[in-house]
Amino acid sequence: MTVAGYQIQLRRRASLPGWKAAMFSFLALLFGLLLFSLIFLLADQSPREIYKQIFGYAFFNSYGLRLSINRFIFLAFASYAFIIPFRAGLWNIGMPGQLYMGALASFGVVYLLGGKTGELSISQPLLLAMLVLAAMLAGALVGGLAGFLKGKWNVNEIVVTMMLNFIAFYFVSFMIKDGGPFMNLGGRGESFELPEVARAPLLAGFPYTLLMVFALMFALQALFARMSLGYQIRAFGKSPLAARYAGVKPFWISIMVFVLGGAFAGLAGYHYFAAVPGVYKIARTYGYFGDLSFYGIICGLISLGNPIATLFIALLFGGLSIGGRYAQGKLHLGFGVDYALMGVLMISLVAFQFFYNYQIAITKKDS
Amino acid sequence: MLAFLIRSLEAAMIFTFAGLGELVDQRGGVLNVGLEGIMLFGATLGFIAAKITGNYFIGFMVGMGVGALLGLAHGFFSITLGVDQVVSGMGIWIFGFGMTTYIGNPHTGPLGLERLPTVFEISPFFFLAVAMVVVVWFVLSKTGWGLNVRSVGEQPEVAEVSGLKVARIRYLCVIFGGMMSGFAGAVYGLYYNPVWNYNFLMGWGFISLALVFFSMWNPFLLFGGAVLFGLLWQLSLNPQMFFPGLASRYIWRMVPFIMTILVLILISSNWFRTRWGAATPEALGKPYHKE
Repeated sequence: MTVAGYQIQLRRRASLPGWKAAMFSFLALLFGLLLFSLIFLLADQSPREIYKQIFGYAFFNSYGLRLSINRFIFLAFASYAFIIPFRAGLWNIGMPGQLYMGALASFGVVYLLGGKTGELSISQPLLLAMLVLAAMLAGALVGGLAGFLKGKWNVNEIVVTMMLNFIAFYFVSFMIKDGGPFMNLGGRGESFELPEVARAPLLAGFPYTLLMVFALMFALQALFARMSLGYQIRAFGKSPLAARYAGVKPFWISIMVFVLGGAFAGLAGYHYFAAVPGVYKIARTYGYFGDLSFYGIICGLISLGNPIATLFIALLFGGLSIGGRYAQGKLHLGFGVDYALMGVLMISLVAFQFFYNYQIAITKKDS
Repeated sequence: MLAFLIRSLEAAMIFTFAGLGELVDQRGGVLNVGLEGIMLFGATLGFIAAKITGNYFIGFMVGMGVGALLGLAHGFFSITLGVDQVVSGMGIWIFGFGMTTYIGNPHTGPLGLERLPTVFEISPFFFLAVAMVVVVWFVLSKTGWGLNVRSVGEQPEVAEVSGLKVARIRYLCVIFGGMMSGFAGAVYGLYYNPVWNYNFLMGWGFISLALVFFSMWNPFLLFGGAVLFGLLWQLSLNPQMFFPGLASRYIWRMVPFIMTILVLILISSNWFRTRWGAATPEALGKPYHKE
């Protein structure tokens, strides 16, 4: 195409340096937020005012900040659950199912110890360790199933993880409603409340799961940068065929990434239902938290699978979704602003993928 | 009993519409995993349009229109921009899921229109679905157009050299696929389950996607699978008709999803693939760059 003597050409990229990829991700994020302003304009609101409200509440209001951090922890786990398989070129959209089962497993431990009806006489550190391990194990099993099927028979992991989401969703209903074993004694269609000793201790007002997020960040950073497994995952993600010639076993890679991813999603379930102050039960609206974990996909894609960058994005989205809910109530926006934001960001991200593949070259035409 | 069967066939017709679109899509070499998002959009916007205008016809048109637009978007991302087809499809799914939650919420509740007429107590759309199966089969396997679509999905380089416009044919396929999915969504939201609720499609898009893999890209097998899953879905809603008192209703609700996984395992197994398979379009999921 020629415009005013300049020739504009699309050229396919052979490779893309890391900093440029990061820049495009950042631009996609900005573009998404800008695009999202349209929704506010349609609702006859000034976007500037609304973003001020959202960020003000999410990060500069002590109550809002606590909510944002809790959600940040949840999204960080959900994003890590997505990132590990993603680095190997596989799609884990089964975070909801994995986190439901993780939460159920934690509650199952308390149930088996007899904590449904009364207090438990057990040392708190031991009990907490059991809850966390149970959640990770259950998530890992659900994830691992998808990984096993992918590795063994190349069964499409997207459909399998999605189906597992619905299966786990109804399994939770079975356990906490209609007289299920975990049902609240009051018969309210939600789970029993955790006894005092099983609730997560708070550090400066935040659940201790916050520390786990940071520990996990270092662990994942080391995994990808220094460990053989991390190298194999990355190699497999870049080119399964080449990795195979280099001795990487596809079967084990798909199992490992889904087991790890599922375990992290299990932690997300543990966090929201057993560690967030004021919750401590599997509420009737558990499906909302399951769907919220899809934000993990966006965090993972924007951060290009980098464990450190993911935390910044997760913090931003944690704040945005909390602030969005607040603004929604305050400014009488429709329900589901946070979901709409998720959709808009995702489509902006897809459009920006173009720049990973192509560059626009503008050259002066000599006539 | 008769009502149960009819209801099953009506569920099957929705799987069929969505599956046929995706089948044509994939025969042309483009994988669209965002079926669920397109169906959600078709169902939600079709529902809102019909509710506001009080006119079913407008509702279906809007459903098809938005489906075609989203199909076009998928084509633009994956054919023109060269974005990974799975990334684009996932994007369309989350876009649909997020936006329809926001857009549809003020319209939560029943449609409030008189129900559409039936023929012999079954929806006329069922007969349309059967006709579409035959038409798509005929066009794909007996006409020059179908040959073009299939060659673009198998060997795009060869097709291009022999004078076909790969990009244009693929665009037509994805637009058709999107339109069918949007229509399927509209039939779901306006006829099968005319009560809007947050994410009320319940994964039917993903089940339809699995049915396309199951069908080995044959419209008749797709229809058979759709009927099977229609029966299964109704059974999971009404287990007391056949197995009174057996297991909780929530356990029954898991059954169609478990069956989807089992079916996928079956068709992915070595036994199945060596016995029946090898029908996968060669270039499925691979972006094509014209040299």
